[in-house]
Amino acid sequence: MLIYKLQSILVYAFIWGSIYLLISLGFSLICGVLRIFHLGYGVTFVVAAYGTWAFMNELHLGLWPAIGLMFVVQIAFALLIFYKGIFQRYLEQEEILLTLSMLIFLAVTHLANYVYPVTAGVYIPTTIIDGTFKIGKVRLSYQMLFAALTGIFVTFLFVWMFLKTRVGLIIRAMSQDIQASRLMGADVNMMYYLAMTLSVIPPTICVLMIAPFWSVDPFMGAPLLTTAMLVSILGGLGNLKGSIVASYMIGFVHAFISFFYVSRFMGFAALVITLLVMIFKRGGLYPGETIW
Amino acid sequence: MNRWKGKLSGIVVLCFCLVLCTGAMVQAKEPLKIGFMGNLSSAPCLSSRGAAMMAVDEMNAAGGIDGRQVELIVEDTKGEIPKAVEIYKKLVMTDKVTAVVIAEKVEMAVAGMEIGAELFKEYPHIMFSTIGSGDVIWHHVRDNYDKYKFGFQTYYSVSTNYLNIWGKLNAELFTKLAGAKKMALIYEDMEWTKPLRKGLEGVSPPLKDVYKKLGLDVVYETTVSTDQKMFTSVFEEIAAMEADVIDATVGYIDEGALIKQWEQSSSRDLPFFIWGGLAGMPPAWKVTEGKCLGVMVGSSMVRVAISEKTIPFMDNLMTKYKVGPIFGSHTTYDTLYGFKKAVENAGGAGNIDALIKSLEKVEEVAVLGTIGWDPKLHYNLPYPKYITPVVQWQKEGDQGAMKVIFPPEFANSKYMSPKELRK
Repeated sequence: MLIYKLQSILVYAFIWGSIYLLISLGFSLICGVLRIFHLGYGVTFVVAAYGTWAFMNELHLGLWPAIGLMFVVQIAFALLIFYKGIFQRYLEQEEILLTLSMLIFLAVTHLANYVYPVTAGVYIPTTIIDGTFKIGKVRLSYQMLFAALTGIFVTFLFVWMFLKTRVGLIIRAMSQDIQASRLMGADVNMMYYLAMTLSVIPPTICVLMIAPFWSVDPFMGAPLLTTAMLVSILGGLGNLKGSIVASYMIGFVHAFISFFYVSRFMGFAALVITLLVMIFKRGGLYPGETIW
Repeated sequence: MNRWKGKLSGIVVLCFCLVLCTGAMVQAKEPLKIGFMGNLSSAPCLSSRGAAMMAVDEMNAAGGIDGRQVELIVEDTKGEIPKAVEIYKKLVMTDKVTAVVIAEKVEMAVAGMEIGAELFKEYPHIMFSTIGSGDVIWHHVRDNYDKYKFGFQTYYSVSTNYLNIWGKLNAELFTKLAGAKKMALIYEDMEWTKPLRKGLEGVSPPLKDVYKKLGLDVVYETTVSTDQKMFTSVFEEIAAMEADVIDATVGYIDEGALIKQWEQSSSRDLPFFIWGGLAGMPPAWKVTEGKCLGVMVGSSMVRVAISEKTIPFMDNLMTKYKVGPIFGSHTTYDTLYGFKKAVENAGGAGNIDALIKSLEKVEEVAVLGTIGWDPKLHYNLPYPKYITPVVQWQKEGDQGAMKVIFPPEFANSKYMSPKELRK
């Protein structure tokens, strides 16, 4: 029994950690580049799910065209509503920025609930391979494994971009010092647009990957936003290296508590761990000023 | 002179009689007011409102209650207890309703019951709670009848009867149909499951012990929270403990995620029984992408004629009132018909004490069997009077359908194991 539990903890710490990474990557990116605690981030999950469903259900599009169109809406929403509408205007007035972002999130959530309540039977058929398999004594669904591998792949792409490309270099420079980057000729505004666009990709992919084992409901954005915030705070706001470590750390805490104690307690345990880290290590695990 | 005096007295008496008769006639024509309150942005309350409107429209079309037309006054609590208390006062004191129907969670009805108790002497009325299985309403009636006698509760079952009645029926279902000996119990962390988790002193031991007495060994027991999204560890542990059946006393948690993760776990071949909630609603098949195949659930949303009222109720509610018959609607509709019969048996609604006594004795044909209330405890008469069928998600062509597997007299299919169904 002990070996089974230990194996389960390892497997699920990896799976859940990778999924949490996918959930939080966009949030960390915005924190790191724009230096904004984006309380409207939860919208991305709701738009991903309900946008896809609306295009499939109302316009009778197939899954892939619906996902493509939803991505367009998602990016337009991030750029026009959040960036142009709020961030650009109220970058210096943080309380207004936070309030407006949160209000937009709530409004979209309630709109989704009004148009497609739970009884509407919303689902996204994104199962890649149905069924389960065993690693040692632990059974795992293929879809969970795919979601975890997708999380790792997307993170790898982001890290590669930041470390190996010119755009990544500029974004890293901006995350260190905006004014110096401007003086060096960086098109800061364009990079902000790019960062906003990039930030919606991981959470959107996340919703598509987890939909077969997670529920799709209008209020799904709130718990996912909480997870993203928790990971980012624990890792060090806006630091991707920190987000990677924090995701797996929270994944481990959740798995450990679930298998050795009771699953109901896992959220509380992760909060306590984060609190303790914040007390003893101010600013989280990687409290740097840069995104990497 | 005396002749004139006599004539005058006769005229006065005649006029007096005329005034009295006219008054009585006016009173007879006055509508009987019923207040309805609930959170009108929640699906169960909207469905209950539709059911209440339907009942009132039908009654008025058939001549009303005891010759009086019925007026339904609908109020939105927005799910807030202080607002609910104000609305309750307004309905009783200003609108002077005869009955208040609270179609919202039991906590709201308890708040209404408290304010109702204060107002009762000056404004005698009846209170019905039609959503929620919590035991507080009938505990109040049991512990202080004189103060709370105006309160009645209608639900598919109150928590106590889950222990006393459904525990035994479930055990029968698990042992006879699924051949189970060892079982796993999942509770949700809510007030209504508290008696099931901890038992009720002097009434029943916890559900675990009820099952044990009936020959089922509970090898795994856990409580999940309503905001929980990850249940994989629960199902993996259940499989590791070699349980034969999973009994989930849940109705409010994220059942979409629960079912999807069960179907993708080591427990996927174990019979899985859910007490209520989304799993028992028609959209569950789509929401879970068919992963609910094999799941058993208590559901009143299945098209099976428990009485002659069942199918017309479902059809009319959908077509005329544009709401689905989800939980709360049956109980609200049946409550109003039980109330109607009680008023008529009592000879009117003028004497509330007589009406309470009448409600304690009444029995009326209902959508889900027979509606009536326990004379001492004021919860509605339980199974087999009031029936929630147990259904299993099975296949009908390439779609899923809820098939009744219990009680036997309404069954339209036989239980099949999830493994068999997936073949």
